[in-house]
Amino acid sequence: MFILGFHFPADMGNNIPDEKVVEKLENSGVDFDSVNEIKLISETREGQKEEISYTKKDTFLFKALVHYVKEVATTDYMIYTNRYQMSELSKKLDSDDETMALCKKFDSMSQFKITAA
Amino acid sequence: MSELRQIAFYGKGGIGKSTTSQNTLASMAHYFGKNILIVGCDPKADSTRLILHEKAQNTILQLAAEMGTVEDLELEDACKPGAGIFAPDAPGGWINCTESGGPEPGVGCAGRGVITAINFLEEEGAYEEEGLDFVSYDVLGDVVCGGFAMPIREGKAQEIYIVMSGEMMAMYAANNISKGILKYANTGGVRLAGLICNARMTDREYDLAWALARELGTQMIHFVPRNNIVQHAELRRMTVVEYSPSSDQAQEYKELARKIIENDMKIIPTPLEMDDLEDLLMEFGLEEEVLEGEIGKSAEL
Repeated sequence: MFILGFHFPADMGNNIPDEKVVEKLENSGVDFDSVNEIKLISETREGQKEEISYTKKDTFLFKALVHYVKEVATTDYMIYTNRYQMSELSKKLDSDDETMALCKKFDSMSQFKITAA
Repeated sequence: MSELRQIAFYGKGGIGKSTTSQNTLASMAHYFGKNILIVGCDPKADSTRLILHEKAQNTILQLAAEMGTVEDLELEDACKPGAGIFAPDAPGGWINCTESGGPEPGVGCAGRGVITAINFLEEEGAYEEEGLDFVSYDVLGDVVCGGFAMPIREGKAQEIYIVMSGEMMAMYAANNISKGILKYANTGGVRLAGLICNARMTDREYDLAWALARELGTQMIHFVPRNNIVQHAELRRMTVVEYSPSSDQAQEYKELARKIIENDMKIIPTPLEMDDLEDLLMEFGLEEEVLEGEIGKSAEL
């Protein structure tokens, strides 16, 4: 099983507890404090672009995005599967309006580019 | 030497099996150095064209017919090295290509061609080539016809990836293929290794694909978004990995390739009954609930 790019052994089944994903993220060795802002550019299939700045450092989503930029991404492109998985988990683990609004955007078919500042 | 893995891509006709499999296998070779033999199991012989940069290679059945019998055929005649970055002397992994071929439309059994081809390749030592990491079968349609279940039935393909989408018939086919895997799982050791959602970008497609995966007891290993660059690459008879390695879509196939290489989840599936599948489709809005009295009635009455 793969969640956020992490591999979970097959004997854990296909329903990985959220806390196991959080544990992997926390133990990934990424310095989450080194990033203050995540910049995203979304583009719809019709070509409409939107710039988003996300700074909620105390959320699961912020940490997942920092991990993505630092450990997973090889370009500024956001892989769809990872993004949907981040949204799915963030909706359960985070609660603030700004994060929920970003999750809603992540659930769309738009494409996202990501950088950390 | 690592153990040879025999994988297969199944799925509804037209879902993008050959495109998905060739782009993924290309990534496995190019980015991860894996050496691969592709066995196309489709009479239209389009499982290797993007790797070979050709329209369609001569199939084993075609060549055997020209020579008289399959016994007269040599491996070099039927198995071609990949072109460009997939050639044996190029850096990274190599890909060898072969196509089983099949009878004229409407005549004979294509499944028989598949098994003839696999037996020929085994006898000629194609699976024993030094450094070979993966054999990949790309199999036409679903397993309604027993012939196309040959790689499963004969215990050749051990690890099955079902290419599907959030469309109704693709989900039906994925469930049907799982029934086929279940039938032979205990005798042949075949296992379901995951669903690959070759997205049509329909509403809630990711959620729906995952819901089906959970019901089947497997994973949705990757959601491959739709991107026109795939078609542009195909026009040049190339994979995206070769046509535009820095493209976003190449990153998607690279990630799918990594996951397949690292995947250890191989399960006996638990297919759904038809009523349960329809309930799942209704839950995600693909089907509207219809009252008993409305069945067969025109919407304009």
